Amino acid sequence: MKEKDDPVEGKSDIILEGKGICKGFPGVWEHLILDHVDIDVKAGEIHTLLGENGAGKTVIANCLSGFYLLSEGQIYVKGKPVTLKSPRDGIRNGIGMVHQELALVKPFTVAENIALGLHSSDLTFPLPEVEARVRELSEKYRLYIDPLARVEDLSAGEQQRAEIIKVLYHDPEILILDEPTSLISADAEHLFDALNSLAEMGYGILFITHKIEEALEAGDRVTVLRLGKSMGTRETAKTDKTELVKLMFGEHTPVHLERKPVKSDRIALEVKDLEALAADEEPALQGVSFTIREGEILGFAGISGNGQSELAEVITGLRKATKGQVIIHGKDYTNRSPGAIIRAGVSHIPEKRREMGVIEPMTVAENVVLKDIRVSPFSKGPFLNMSHITGHTQEIVSRFGALVSDLWKSQTRILSGGNIQRLILGRETWRMPKFIVAVYPSQGLDAKAVNHTWELFMRLREAGSSILLVSEDLDEIMALSDRIAVMSRGKIVGMFDGAAAKREEIGLMIATGAPRT
Amino acid sequence: MGLRGSTDELKKTIIAGIIGFAAGALIIILYGYDPISAYQALFNGAFGDLYSFSESLANATPLILTALTFAIGFRGGMFNIGAEGQVYLGALAAVTVSFFHLPSGVAFALSLVFAVLAGAIWSLPVAILKAARGVHEVISTIMLNWIAHFLSFYLIATILVDPLRAEKTLSVAESVRLPLLVPGTSLSYGIFVSLLAAIIVYLFLWRTVIGFDIRAMGHNALAATYAGIEKWKIILFVFITGGLTAGLAGAVHVMGRPPTYAVYSGMPSIIGLGFEGLAVAMIGRNHPIGIIFAAIFFGGLLAGGRMMQLFAQVPLEMVRVVEGIVVLFLAVPELIRLFSFLRKIGPVVFFRSKRA
Amino acid sequence: MNLGYLWGIFLGSLYAMVPITLTGTGEVIGESSGLFNIGLEGIILLGAMTGALGAEAGGPIVGLLVGLGAGLAIGLIFGLVCTYFRGVQLIAGVGINLFAAGLVTFWLIHLGVPGHHAVPEASRMVAISTPLGDFSPMIIVALVLPVLTYILLFRTKLGLKIRAVGENPQAADVAGINIHLLRCLSTAAGASLAGLAGAYISIDWIGSVTKEISAGRGFIALATVVFSGLNPLLALLGGFIFGFFDNLAVWVSTMPAVQRVIPWQFVAMAPYIVTLLVVAGVIGRVRFPAAMGIPYERE
Repeated sequence: MKEKDDPVEGKSDIILEGKGICKGFPGVWEHLILDHVDIDVKAGEIHTLLGENGAGKTVIANCLSGFYLLSEGQIYVKGKPVTLKSPRDGIRNGIGMVHQELALVKPFTVAENIALGLHSSDLTFPLPEVEARVRELSEKYRLYIDPLARVEDLSAGEQQRAEIIKVLYHDPEILILDEPTSLISADAEHLFDALNSLAEMGYGILFITHKIEEALEAGDRVTVLRLGKSMGTRETAKTDKTELVKLMFGEHTPVHLERKPVKSDRIALEVKDLEALAADEEPALQGVSFTIREGEILGFAGISGNGQSELAEVITGLRKATKGQVIIHGKDYTNRSPGAIIRAGVSHIPEKRREMGVIEPMTVAENVVLKDIRVSPFSKGPFLNMSHITGHTQEIVSRFGALVSDLWKSQTRILSGGNIQRLILGRETWRMPKFIVAVYPSQGLDAKAVNHTWELFMRLREAGSSILLVSEDLDEIMALSDRIAVMSRGKIVGMFDGAAAKREEIGLMIATGAPRT
Repeated sequence: MGLRGSTDELKKTIIAGIIGFAAGALIIILYGYDPISAYQALFNGAFGDLYSFSESLANATPLILTALTFAIGFRGGMFNIGAEGQVYLGALAAVTVSFFHLPSGVAFALSLVFAVLAGAIWSLPVAILKAARGVHEVISTIMLNWIAHFLSFYLIATILVDPLRAEKTLSVAESVRLPLLVPGTSLSYGIFVSLLAAIIVYLFLWRTVIGFDIRAMGHNALAATYAGIEKWKIILFVFITGGLTAGLAGAVHVMGRPPTYAVYSGMPSIIGLGFEGLAVAMIGRNHPIGIIFAAIFFGGLLAGGRMMQLFAQVPLEMVRVVEGIVVLFLAVPELIRLFSFLRKIGPVVFFRSKRA
Repeated sequence: MNLGYLWGIFLGSLYAMVPITLTGTGEVIGESSGLFNIGLEGIILLGAMTGALGAEAGGPIVGLLVGLGAGLAIGLIFGLVCTYFRGVQLIAGVGINLFAAGLVTFWLIHLGVPGHHAVPEASRMVAISTPLGDFSPMIIVALVLPVLTYILLFRTKLGLKIRAVGENPQAADVAGINIHLLRCLSTAAGASLAGLAGAYISIDWIGSVTKEISAGRGFIALATVVFSGLNPLLALLGGFIFGFFDNLAVWVSTMPAVQRVIPWQFVAMAPYIVTLLVVAGVIGRVRFPAAMGIPYERE
């Protein structure tokens, strides 16, 4: 491992620099995804970019490699300003990027994937040369991979190795790696060795991660990104975990909400040994068990991507559980349809509010009654009860403070994310449901709306509702939860008592992903 | 409430229409005809006088219904082009009832019922294959259309043949025929059946729970599942109701078609009703009200086409050419934006990968 | 039934196989890149019409090339609409079918022959006479093209690119491939084969043009592509199977003995029933490119 005290070898010129980088996305107009970020990478250094999910790490990496256009700002390669309009421009300027979502064509072999990006004639089939070179590179960097293997047959770790070799094949001078160790924890050592040798050869490496330990171990310098803004750059030799946690999560005075202790002992939800696969068929839940009592809020803290989304989906019937049970109020609801679970009294405030929580081309009124429309008095028999629907929607809109111009004419798509969330909250909670699954419920809401949401949840809790809360906002988790669970890689690695837990402890467990020792 | 956003949709339809007619004019000129007199004859023949207008409405009658078949499917997120075959079988089912000598009221009602059922039954395999095996409805409906095509030929030539005149089926019984609305034309009371069906479909899609579920599933299958809507139910409903309207189209057509009220071998008057309905639905933006207008417009083009052929010697198939081009342009979702974009930047820029 | 009889059926099947195999092979290229072209039926029709006109002007070879060119042109338009203009592929394809149906009938009328235009003998394709019977050279083409296409798709870098674009356009984009351009060209190439198939029908096999001359073969070709799992060699096999049934109907209609048992209409139905059964049976096990039918957006 690289000694922290060794000076950076090789040239110390800046090989890649981004100044004032801004990025906005169409459809998300509340805030910039990247807000005037400055970053630089020196030749011969490993520079880590550290931040939670949603901080903008992948976005800036895509900007620096040419996959996204900058909304504002300028990129410099070896001091010269460049405009990158496509990944090809990036490659031409010596920037190679290893994506987190591997850019590999699954049914092809490793060699075929690499051949795809070569500049040779289209009528050739240069597989033999590619194979030979892949074996050469494997040896050189000790990233072993069989060029003739089909990508879809390889393990996640091997796929990542293939992706890295694919990028190295083009001899970049700058290497950007987006969360490369999310899948290859066991081989992380090899990767760091390889990166070190590359750095010694004069490469500039930008290494993106959400794990503090890695940032400190692998990098020479670390830049922390939070909510699209750079929080500063430090030399790893001169900083420590505590400072980095503060930069990543921010300093906050904890919010203290009045609460009475949990009244009931009856169990609202029981989850036993739950296992499930993610969309890419990798295991997402690896044996999750917990209970939630009536009138209790259980908060799941942690970086997204560790199984929280899948957990919520399995409980609400949107994903198949491969093993285990979901028991709601004593009845087994494992793998039942979403409709059945809705009828069991479970509300779901979903993670993807625009893609799942509302139907954007439909009107506000239609979205507010999306789930209730099937029952009286919203419908009488097969027919819709328009007046009741209108009245109800009006009430929800005003009670939850959503800014809408009309209920029946325009599409919900034009509303801001915050207003959409208010509609969803209204729809999912107006009946005072016995059980609520709330996934990132405050994302994109302003401070006032967040407070209202918290008050709402506390009121529901008072009335005996149970809430399974998933959030990346540690303030929210700490303010609302009776108990706090931390998930890492599909398992619960820690359970804290809400009142007694210390923020730094939780933050550390989240950032390291390791169970408490 | 269904008509929301309609000005945008209307603009898009008009732009596509203008392009279509312009292209048609170009082709007409290329062939040495005069587009102005051609289009003049076309519109006169469509809406010029009572006779023409009645013919236009008569043409529109079955088109409204087959367009509804496609539109219901489209609203549910599916591409149902099975109307063609269902129309044949619906028409023949109606004819079948006339073989039995039933009291007039009963015969009339049963003709409609049988036709409607025939259409629905023919759509069942499509629904089942899609729900159970994930077979894309485009392929299954087309195959079933062709099977219905030959099945119909067989039935017309054998079981349903008129014993006195072998080139057609038995004519529909007097009591079953729809009375003419305007004497001397082809326009029957069938037009009211079609209009009523359009209104019912409108109410169905926008005023019932199942219609709501269909539209929700069509807009966003993920969110609809989240809301508890079950996909297989939607598939069944969409295809069966589509089959109902298509079967009805066949019945209304044969029961309202002077002078013979029968189906001829080769089915010259029925073939194409399904596909024409598709174009009508697209141009009517898959909304029952739009479909009524689009169908009348289309029916007009067909009626006027004959005049165009007579007076300007331009074959009436030019109408179909225009149709095709209009539909092609309607395939582009952001047609309006496209045209403002085209005006700003030159065509050179086309050949690069663009961002939205 | 003697051997000569069976051989006759086999030969007839080969003739019937050609348009389906050509169109199917072309669509394999197109679908491999991610575009689903339902307008094949219309393109075959246009190929038949333009091919006939070309043959009458300059002989059979010219006719075939004109048909191919017509397919290429329409394919390019379809490609442009569906890639750069983000058009909905199914709707654009339907538009093409309607346009073609109208244009061909219009043309037929313009030529003064209502409904049916026979291509004069002089413009027809010359068959190769062998002691075993008359072979059309297009049969050879139809046997060779799938092999060449297989080599293109699975043994060249271009084929890798095409398949990557259909499977994971993101990865292809990262590799620097121009997604839209490649999809346009693949679809155009595929459509040109459909145009060629149409020209073959009017100049060679059937020898006339009517507005129904395509007889649903464009759609049967689509089903063949499903059956083939995007492997051109299997598309060849599928083409033969469907061609066999297609041809059978014609044979049966000339045999009064069989007519008494099975009416010709039911034999005519056979290709479509078979297609339906095959698709229903095969569809679960066949794997389509992951990004097929979805317009590509980078962000």
